[in-house]
Amino acid sequence: MKNNLAERRSGRSWTQADLAAAVGVSRQTIISIEREKFDPSLPLAFLIARTFDCAIEDIFTPE
Amino acid sequence: MSKASFTSRRAPAHHYVLAIILAAILTIVVSVLVGATNPNDFWLAASIGALCAAYPAMSLGAKVFVSNHTVTLDAHGEQSVELQWMRQAGAGAFLDVLVVIVVASLVLAIGRLEVDALPILLGLVALSAVDAGLRYVAVRHRALK
Repeated sequence: MKNNLAERRSGRSWTQADLAAAVGVSRQTIISIEREKFDPSLPLAFLIARTFDCAIEDIFTPE
Repeated sequence: MSKASFTSRRAPAHHYVLAIILAAILTIVVSVLVGATNPNDFWLAASIGALCAAYPAMSLGAKVFVSNHTVTLDAHGEQSVELQWMRQAGAGAFLDVLVVIVVASLVLAIGRLEVDALPILLGLVALSAVDAGLRYVAVRHRALK
């Protein structure tokens, strides 16, 4: 899946560690998602979307 | 399975003492048991037993008395990418061990060789652990480079 997580995170001036702490996963998980090497589970995708006050499809789009 | 994170917090001092006491007791028990299995050379066997048991016993002591204060579980650790890496490494290592067992069995059957089971089983344990560890490092490196 493609995603704009890095742009949204930068927009809030958050580090990868900040976002990882906010959603309760490891920093490596955030790195892997941003590099599109790891597709998050549905619960994690919901959690990320809720963190950015938007819908899942605003962040993640299928390739 | 959840992922754990180390914190900068420390456990109360008496918890470290309890951990050391538990580790010492376990180490002594194991070393006496190992020594008792070899009465001709009790002290040598007991020393080897103590050397082997000390580190696991210390780890157990830390787990029981210290880690509750110094390690916190990530709230959604089971969603982390590390779990996927561990699954990939474990599945790969399982297949590797399976192939090694099949090949070794063929060699033994064709060559009509007879070997002791204990070193073979210990070798398989070591192979699976090292293989899974190396695969995890490789998968992690590939994902993060």
